[in-house]
Amino acid sequence: MKDLLELTVQKALNEGASFCEARFFEERGNSVSIENGIARSLSSGILRGIGIRVIVNDRWGFASTNIPTRQNVEKTLQDAIGGAKSITAQTGEKAKIVEVKPSVDTIIHDVKIKLEDVSPEEKVKRMLEIEGAARNFSDKVKDTFVYYGDVITRVIVCNSFGTLIEEVAPRTRVFCRVIAKEGDNMQDGFEGVGSVAGYEIIENIEVEKFSLKAAKRAVSLLSAHPPPRGAFPIVVDPKVGGLFIHEAFGHNSEGDLVFSGQSIIANRLGQKIASDLVTIIDDPTRRGFGHFIYDHEGTKANPHVLVNNGVLVGFLHSLESVAKIGGKPEGSARAQSHHHPPIVRMSNTYLAPGDLTLEEILEDIDYGVYLAGSQYGYVESQKGQFTCKVEEAWLIEKGELTEHLRDVAISGLTLEALKNVKAVGKDFRMDMPGMCGKSGQSMYVDAGAPHFRIDGIVVGGRR
Amino acid sequence: MERVDLVTPVEKAIRILSRLDIDFYDVVASYSRSLSVNIMGKGVKEASAQIDVGIGVRVFKNKGMGVAYSQSLEDADVEAIVNQAVSFAKVSQPDPYFKSIPGPSKAPEVPDLCDEEIVNLTLEDAGRMPKGMIDAAESVRSGAMYWGGFGANYSRGCLMTSTGVSVESEKTSTSAYLQPVYREGDDVGSSYEFDLAISLSEIDFYKVGKKAAEKAIEQFGSRKEESGSLPLILSPESSSSLFSALLSALSGESAVKGRTFASGLLGKQISPEILEIGDNGTIPGAIASSTYDGEGVPRKPLNVISRGRVSTFLHNSYSAGIMNIESTGHAIRGGYRGQVGAGPSNIKVKPGDSSLEEMISETKRGILVINASFPPNMVSGEFSTTIDEGFLIENGEKRHPVKNLMAGGHIIIDLYRNIELISKEGRTIGKGFFFPWVKIKQVKLSGK
Repeated sequence: MKDLLELTVQKALNEGASFCEARFFEERGNSVSIENGIARSLSSGILRGIGIRVIVNDRWGFASTNIPTRQNVEKTLQDAIGGAKSITAQTGEKAKIVEVKPSVDTIIHDVKIKLEDVSPEEKVKRMLEIEGAARNFSDKVKDTFVYYGDVITRVIVCNSFGTLIEEVAPRTRVFCRVIAKEGDNMQDGFEGVGSVAGYEIIENIEVEKFSLKAAKRAVSLLSAHPPPRGAFPIVVDPKVGGLFIHEAFGHNSEGDLVFSGQSIIANRLGQKIASDLVTIIDDPTRRGFGHFIYDHEGTKANPHVLVNNGVLVGFLHSLESVAKIGGKPEGSARAQSHHHPPIVRMSNTYLAPGDLTLEEILEDIDYGVYLAGSQYGYVESQKGQFTCKVEEAWLIEKGELTEHLRDVAISGLTLEALKNVKAVGKDFRMDMPGMCGKSGQSMYVDAGAPHFRIDGIVVGGRR
Repeated sequence: MERVDLVTPVEKAIRILSRLDIDFYDVVASYSRSLSVNIMGKGVKEASAQIDVGIGVRVFKNKGMGVAYSQSLEDADVEAIVNQAVSFAKVSQPDPYFKSIPGPSKAPEVPDLCDEEIVNLTLEDAGRMPKGMIDAAESVRSGAMYWGGFGANYSRGCLMTSTGVSVESEKTSTSAYLQPVYREGDDVGSSYEFDLAISLSEIDFYKVGKKAAEKAIEQFGSRKEESGSLPLILSPESSSSLFSALLSALSGESAVKGRTFASGLLGKQISPEILEIGDNGTIPGAIASSTYDGEGVPRKPLNVISRGRVSTFLHNSYSAGIMNIESTGHAIRGGYRGQVGAGPSNIKVKPGDSSLEEMISETKRGILVINASFPPNMVSGEFSTTIDEGFLIENGEKRHPVKNLMAGGHIIIDLYRNIELISKEGRTIGKGFFFPWVKIKQVKLSGK
């Protein structure tokens, strides 16, 4: 395969391309779906193919195929070249790429228990154990679901700088969802774990901290209340904090959104954009769901400090965004598959810990809202307006957590919210494995934070 | 364009499966060719072509299901996924709700779902398409930074089952999207516009670009508003997510197994009688039409909400089997990779007798919502949405745009119940969907 990629890159250069990258992608996945004590389905699949990106006439062309024969790859290269030529005369962005020293390396991530060493029967048995703990928790539990998924992703990046990188990464993930019901009132609880890891993360699951926890949350939410409406001081747990850092800030730091004018912080490099307490890091080298050693342009990944004590000190970069706005390539370009070109993505993104305990953060708040568990979020990066939906919350009254709340969401403006971070805890956690969507591509990411306080955040509620 | 043979590998899989001791199976193969032109920054950035081929097998043994797929149609790979699906089916456990998969039915072909212009479109042609869209935006006001694109897709599929279904399909689709961002100091004017169609000739690139720029400019000077209870007037784009969420919650096994906020609503009045919603996957030339659904069951028109009352669920064969009725032809198959779910096709909300002008002029204080989506928690029905783009209405007139204003923690059913007016005018999308302007009585909003 490497020979075919090298041949393709050479051919592209011979045909007038100033840059070419040929990328092989293979993903072998397995899944098990459990519903109410029944292993309803088992599934497996193989995705495999080649994506080719070229710069011709200062324009980008990209094409992909999932039939990686020599003849098809040749045709795909012609499509990519044709794509670049087709837009040569159009108004738009000139293609640029920063030339980097080539890397040649092979990475195979170590795991304690190889995914291929675990039989489908064993997986089913373990998932039923995990699911059973939730199902048997209460007669208010209506439905329980456990989904197990593993993938082994093999990516080979070959480009005209001489880079030739192969990385094989296993990812394992399991989530549990519980629906609780009382009369017409239905609520759900969710827990998930996932990482670049083998089956050991499944063996390490303690049901009390996982499926049972999801069941307890679903049942307890049946009697929770809607939150008050308006702007309040809020305290977020590590999951909501991770979601906030990812949505409100992280997308704005993506170099492609910066150079294309879609980021609210595009012109603020070196400026104070957050309170002194805020240091934000994106670290692909850290074990998590967003972990990798080389990105999909073949750039070796480093931790990226984006905000240091409130000052914006960097963006996340592809080789293209470095060429356009400056900076250092540290490996933030990834692609969902061979059918997608690499774009700038977050990896494991987090707010660095401070030095307070949760009690110390809460004690100064007379009236506010404590938010726990993340559901989903989104941002309009060009305006810096974000929304985060959380699983549950508690009212904070005179420094104490009081009323249990459900149906809570927050909305805010990125630049205001970052400046209003008033206290940061020391109890850091990163356990929000998930998929992030951008430009039609879905990518493995993780996020985390310690507990922290933000003032003046709009809390939604029907009270 | 090369024509990849889908029938031979499907038949090969069927031949192997037919010799094995299993209860039911289906095999689907698909081919798609997507051309896209990405717009970023000052204009066109990249042109790309993707060809995707794959084959997927579902096998049922003792009511247990095994699924396997591959992006290779080679004989050895087809054989491998068949064996894998069969072995998985034997490990999975009996699903008491599973009855069977559908048998064959003949339906008249829904015409005009494949545009020859797209079938024959070259990447060179595609590269020129977005120019009119950007030129139109620049003619309104130059200097925007853009995000958007143009896409054209051609797909073919082949489905065969152990129950005798044998269906081949062919379809095209195209889309255009533009989001211009203008800046004046720290103030931002940004919005987006889009269009979807089966045929290239139906996309008006100039209109998309012009409207996107005009909407973006209107967003300058947005202000925060106080929390309060105000009526909302939803644009067709916003009402689309409100009604699509309802039809999704009425679809498939989640609806039938009592797992969505709409599960208990069958036969019940959920809104004033002015609300009528139909679903019709047989409209010629419409974006969500097809002759057969994802299981090979003929599509048919369905009145889902009649005079404000829920009249039916949207079924695939699995959910219909639980209720001992026939499938309504709403199975959705996620290509060769996915399992089979259920969901709406072309959704049409019947126009009312009001108008946008009347809605605004009769509102003392309210919010005109241009862009907001209503993704509810499908279990509890709770939704929280920021008004991404909207305007304050005061004394019957549209005023300034709003920001950081949220309708949070509401139960979506309350919104249907509180529909006050539906407009005559609205937006047709992809020849099949129609959504009007909708006025909702007092909604509690969180602001400064």
